[in-house]
Amino acid sequence: MELERVKERVLEGRPGFPRAYGPARVDHQPGIPLFPQEATRDLVVIFLLTAIMFFLSSYLTPFLGPARSPQISELIVPDWYLLFSWGLLKIADIFPTFTLGAGTPLAAEFNPVFWGDVLSGIPIIALLLLPFLDRGREARPAKAPIRSAIGTASIAAIFTASLYSIREVISERWLSPNGAPLIPDNTQKWFFVIPPILVGLVTYTALRRLGYQPMRRWLVPNVTVPAIIVCAQSAAILLLPGWLGAEALPYVVWIAVHLVLLSAASAAVAVAVIALPETRARDVSAWTIVLAVLAFAGLSIYMDATDRNGYSWVLSVLYPNMNTLLLLPMFAVMTAWLGTRRPYSTYEYLLNECYQCGKCHTVCPVTKVEDDALGGLNLVYNTFKKQHDGVPLWTCLACDACSAVCPLDIKYSDYILEERAKVHAKMAADGGEREWP
Amino acid sequence: MAVTETEYGPGRTIPHPVMFRVLDSEAEDTTIPEIKVVHKAEVAYYPGCVDYYDVEMQFSHMNYGDTNHGIIFDSSIKLLRAVGIEPMVLDRSFMKCCGHDQLWQGKVDVFEKMRDYNTRIIKMLGVKTLVTSCAEGYRTFRLDYKLDGVRVVHITQFLYERGLRIPPQPETARKVRVAYQDPCRSCRQMPVGAVYEEPRELIKRVDNAELVELKTFRADAQCCGVAQMMYCNDKTKGLTRKRMDEATEVQADYLLTACPKCLTHFGCLHHENRWKPGEERYGYKVMDITQFLAERLPGDYPTGGNVDARRKEPPLPGRKGGGS
Repeated sequence: MELERVKERVLEGRPGFPRAYGPARVDHQPGIPLFPQEATRDLVVIFLLTAIMFFLSSYLTPFLGPARSPQISELIVPDWYLLFSWGLLKIADIFPTFTLGAGTPLAAEFNPVFWGDVLSGIPIIALLLLPFLDRGREARPAKAPIRSAIGTASIAAIFTASLYSIREVISERWLSPNGAPLIPDNTQKWFFVIPPILVGLVTYTALRRLGYQPMRRWLVPNVTVPAIIVCAQSAAILLLPGWLGAEALPYVVWIAVHLVLLSAASAAVAVAVIALPETRARDVSAWTIVLAVLAFAGLSIYMDATDRNGYSWVLSVLYPNMNTLLLLPMFAVMTAWLGTRRPYSTYEYLLNECYQCGKCHTVCPVTKVEDDALGGLNLVYNTFKKQHDGVPLWTCLACDACSAVCPLDIKYSDYILEERAKVHAKMAADGGEREWP
Repeated sequence: MAVTETEYGPGRTIPHPVMFRVLDSEAEDTTIPEIKVVHKAEVAYYPGCVDYYDVEMQFSHMNYGDTNHGIIFDSSIKLLRAVGIEPMVLDRSFMKCCGHDQLWQGKVDVFEKMRDYNTRIIKMLGVKTLVTSCAEGYRTFRLDYKLDGVRVVHITQFLYERGLRIPPQPETARKVRVAYQDPCRSCRQMPVGAVYEEPRELIKRVDNAELVELKTFRADAQCCGVAQMMYCNDKTKGLTRKRMDEATEVQADYLLTACPKCLTHFGCLHHENRWKPGEERYGYKVMDITQFLAERLPGDYPTGGNVDARRKEPPLPGRKGGGS
């Protein structure tokens, strides 16, 4: 599309949004400094609370009842919000066990207990370090894509860790028809780490894209590599001998239907992202999502009603490989859909921050001389509200007096560049010059 | 499509002056002519469109040559020589316009052509430092071009860092009050390398000049009134007048600027408000900062300062040059 191309070209090479245009900000608000004033006061409060707790726990300990015997229940789990910590302790057995300096007084034993402590400490340490690592002032996710990606990945990690903490329950509850656990422990271990990584990648790609970055360099590998992996593994399962057990062979048609569906979905978006223009690729990925979900739902309803045994065998192929066969297609279509997302217009994106303090109108030199200003002409506001017939756009001098006083560093001149380019692109598309409006 | 009556009245269209027609058509031709480099150097000076402005101003009867844009070129060369630099001049015979106005008028296609052509030539000539005497050129080359490895500086920055020394003025020279207009393109709009201090420091080096600040200055400086040559009407004139009145209020003797566009619009209003010689609304001179500094240096202008030697006095005012 002509407009898209012009916009791309105007904004090409502009280093993203948090572009620090304008003079350095000097209008920091005065206030009471954190150190030492606020810190002293807070310390007093902290000591007081600690003293109260010591007092209460020493003299007023309530009777909590007798400890529950571990024999009463077979499954003891912590409260749900602590499951992730339990999961971290359980995953610790993947780390090697060894002893440093054995035989000396300084022998240090590296065992699962130690690794579990380390893993449980990592989130706390990360939270402590966060204020020192991330000094940016941007609070909006799209302006801080790396931080947001780490955040969503951490949330995903909390879920996967919680899931892993009940690995015994999962292994006992869901069995494949031949009696083995439906989801082997190895798969569960990989499911611990892979979803957070994929979620982080999707978030980063989508948010950078929202911030007008051309994300093709990220998009193409992120969609193509999963598609290749899924197709290759599906082909291997179906064609190579030894991958499907002898008991599953009668149901190979249904298994093939599922595998082809997954491979087709991921291959479709990969081809679309590589070959089609972005708007078309977005359409293709959206339709892929819709059709794949409908097909899967239809298939499972149909098989549940007709051939439950066959469905168990299909699942016994899919679930042990869920990190590749199920996660990667979802990752590919989501990345394709979000990564080709039409970004905000620059101005819309930036002006979402505006809290309409009106400083820009006060300093705008045009409104000082335009008679229309008495009738309410406000270049910035009228354009934002799309209440303009072109006058605010072409009357603007792009002198950036508004941006110089803007408390949020919104660049009005970016908008001017973009909109004027659009008008000329329209003129060119109409085959010649056109009077405004 | 005819001009539509909007609620804001007709005529709110972009007037494309002849100059832009010329520049746009010039951008179409991307063949590189044979370039004769008289003086090969790593420091290049790009004078910009100053010659076009002189032609355009006289063509559209805005003034008759007393606002001299061409002298910016001569002054810059003189100043650069004074700090020991003999620059390679990126002449308009093989360079194109930097494309600032085209970009800000929305003509991205034209801007792209100019940018690619100019970038190619700058890379071809092996320029390391690109000096420009124009605020718009400074912004455009620095922000909108992708000149990796080429340092783009405004001439005031360059003179300041090379330590330009203005010799003591003669005893007879009277004290002058000098006001400086911050062009928006080189000041507010620059994320890095905003040119605020360097021109002021250079003005302070002239011993009989006293720097006075206008009512609005530095990042708050009011625009000269017309941006990217979009229109000229009573409203824009009103803005220019507001700015020039600020200089009157501080009783300035000189209103300096670092942008040829500001010079154009100030000069236009200066000319328009002078019905007879000597009867001026604005009792100060408007000139570019390079001209002001170069006049205070000994020696002549390299090429005669673009001044018509046959003309002994300023032309008569009036629409047709003093005639009927």
